[in-house]
Amino acid sequence: MACSLNNANMFTLKRALLTLCMALAATTALAADKEHGTVISEVTLFVTPDPQAQKLGRVTRGRDIFLMDHTTVDNKPWDHLLATVDVDLERETAREISGWVPANVVVTTSTPNGDQIIYGEAVDSENQAEQRGGRKNAADDARRLYYRLYEYFPSSPLAGEALWRAADILWQLEKADIRRRPSSREMSPDMRTPMDDQTLRLVMKKFPHTPWADQAAFNMIDNKLCGSWKGETKCPEKESELYEKYAREHPQSPKVAEALFNAAWRQGALVEMYRTQHEQDKSEKARKKAMELAQEVAAKSNENDPKLADWKPRAMEFMYSLQQGIPTYDAEADRK
Amino acid sequence: MVRHWKKFELPLLLAMAATAALGAGAYAAEPERATLIREVSLYASAGANAQKLAQAGRGSGLTILERGNADGQPWLKISMAADQEAEVSREVTGWLPAKAVVTGATANGDQVIFGQAVDSERQAEERGGRKGAAQDALRLYSRVAELFPGSPLAAEAMWRAADIRWQLTKSAFIRTGKPMEQKYLLAVIAKFPQSKQAELAAYDLLDGQMCQEWRGLAECPIKEAALYEQYAHEHPQSPKAAEALYNAAWRQAALADIYRIENDNAKSDAARKKATALAQQIAGQSPQGDWKPRALDLIYKLEKKIPIYGVLIE
Repeated sequence: MACSLNNANMFTLKRALLTLCMALAATTALAADKEHGTVISEVTLFVTPDPQAQKLGRVTRGRDIFLMDHTTVDNKPWDHLLATVDVDLERETAREISGWVPANVVVTTSTPNGDQIIYGEAVDSENQAEQRGGRKNAADDARRLYYRLYEYFPSSPLAGEALWRAADILWQLEKADIRRRPSSREMSPDMRTPMDDQTLRLVMKKFPHTPWADQAAFNMIDNKLCGSWKGETKCPEKESELYEKYAREHPQSPKVAEALFNAAWRQGALVEMYRTQHEQDKSEKARKKAMELAQEVAAKSNENDPKLADWKPRAMEFMYSLQQGIPTYDAEADRK
Repeated sequence: MVRHWKKFELPLLLAMAATAALGAGAYAAEPERATLIREVSLYASAGANAQKLAQAGRGSGLTILERGNADGQPWLKISMAADQEAEVSREVTGWLPAKAVVTGATANGDQVIFGQAVDSERQAEERGGRKGAAQDALRLYSRVAELFPGSPLAAEAMWRAADIRWQLTKSAFIRTGKPMEQKYLLAVIAKFPQSKQAELAAYDLLDGQMCQEWRGLAECPIKEAALYEQYAHEHPQSPKAAEALYNAAWRQAALADIYRIENDNAKSDAARKKATALAQQIAGQSPQGDWKPRALDLIYKLEKKIPIYGVLIE
C-alpha cells in the first residue's frame, strides 16, 4: 500500500515537478519578454551606475535594449542594459554592449501605457525630421521607435499603424538615397538597386486587408517605375497599367484616388507622346482612357475626407486640360 | 385726363428706357475677369508668330478686353498687372491663346482652378519641383475665391492662399526680420467667421506673437503657453485645438526645466503640474490620432523628470 502510495506519490511528484518546471520556464520566458524595451531619449551608457563613471557610448531613441538589472544610487534609479550602441552614425555601424543608464528614459513592455509613450515619442521624432533645423537623424529615431512598438506591443491598437509608419519611413529614406545615384535615372527599373520591401511585406502579412496593407502595396509600385521615360511610350503605358491594376485590386485603399489619378495622368502623357510621333489613333485612344480614369477619380473622391477632397478638383482640371487640348505633359522636353 | 396721362407717360417711358439702356451699357462695360491655368506667352497680336511681350504665369489676374481668332483657335486680348506680386503695378496688354484661360463663366471653373492650385502646391513641396510653384498655387487659390465667391471651395481656397502667403512671409521674417502681414488671414476670418478655415487662420496668427528666441528665460514660454491655451479655450472645435493645448503643455514643461536650472523649485513644480494638467486634458479630449500618444509621452517625461528643454547634462 505504502509502495503503491509511494508509486502514486512519485508519479504525482514527477508530474508536479514537470508542471513546476514548465511553469518556471514559462515565467522565465515571460520575465525575459518583459525585460525588452527601448529608450525614449538619447542617453549615455556608463560602466557603473554613476554619472561620473566611464562612458561606453550613446544609446539613441528606439534602440532595442534588454534590461538585466536595476539599482538605486543617491535616490536615483539606474538600469543595467544590454543595448545596441551607435559607433558611427554616418556609416550606420553599431555594436551591442552592456552598461548602466538612468532608468527614467527606459520604457519596457511592463511600463503602463508603454505603447502610447513609444508611439508619442515616435510622432515627436517624425515631426522633428520634417522640420527645417530639426534634430539630426530624427527620421531614423522615429522609424526605430515605431518598429519597437510593433515588436513589443503586437496586440496594441497602435501596432498596425506603427509598423506601417516604420516601413514607410524606411522606404522614403531609401528612395531618397537611391534617387541620388546616377542609376536612378536609368529607364528600366531593373537597372537600379531596388528598395528593400521586406518591412512593407511584413505589414501586408501581419495586417492583411487593412488600410496599412493597402498603403504598403501602393509604396511597392515605386520599385517597378521607370527612372526616366526618355520619350519611350512603353514606360507610361506600363506604369499606367500598374496604377490601374492597384486601384482595381485595392478598391478600399486610401490611395485608390491617387492611383487612378496617376494612371490617368500617364495616359494624358501618352496623348502628347503619340501626338508628337504623329500616331493620332493611339493619341486619341489614350485621351479617351485618360478621360475615363479621371472621371472615376472624381467619382471616388470624398469631399468630407480632407485627404481625398483634393482629388476631384485635380481630376476636373485634368479633364478640362484634355478637352481644351492643353498639354498635360511636355513630350519634347522628355525626349531631350 | 387720359390725354394728360398719355402726355406724361411718354417722357416717363423715354426716361425709363434711357436709364435701362445706360444700366445695360454699364453692365456690358463691366470687364470680364479671368485667370490662367498654364503659363503662356503674351503676344502683341493674336497668333503664335506675333511678337512676344511677356510671360503670364498660372493664376495671373486677367481682364478680358477683346475676343478673336488666329491659327484656327480662339485668342483673347487681355490686360494684366505686369507684376502679379505687387499691390500696385503697371498694366500690360496683349493677346494670348484662350484655351488656358478660365473665367467666371467656365463650367466647373472653380474646380478647374482649385485643381491646378493643388497641383502647383504639390510641385512646390516636391524636391526639384517647378520654380515659383508656391506663388502659382497662392495666386490660383486667390482666384477661386475672387472669380467664384459662391463656390463651396471658396473658403478653403481663400484660406490656403492666405496660409501659403503666411508661410512664405514667415520664412522671410526668420531670414530678414521683415514683419508678417496679417491682412490676408484676417480677411479669411472676416469673410468666413465661425468656419474651420477661420479657426485655422486664427491659429496661424499666433505665429506673429511668438518670440524669435527664448534665450533660456521664462518670459517667452510663459507668454506663449498662455496664448496657445487661450486659443484652445476660444476655439474648442478647431482642428488645431489639440495641437494648441499640446504646445501650451510643452511650453509649461520647458518652464519646469528652466526654473529647475534657476533652482526655483516651487515655480518648477507649479509649471510641471500645469503641463501635466494640460497634457491630461489632451489625452482626455483626443482619443483618436497622434495627439493622445504625444500627450502621454509628455506626461511620462514629466513624471520621470526627463528634461525636454535644453541640453541634457549628465
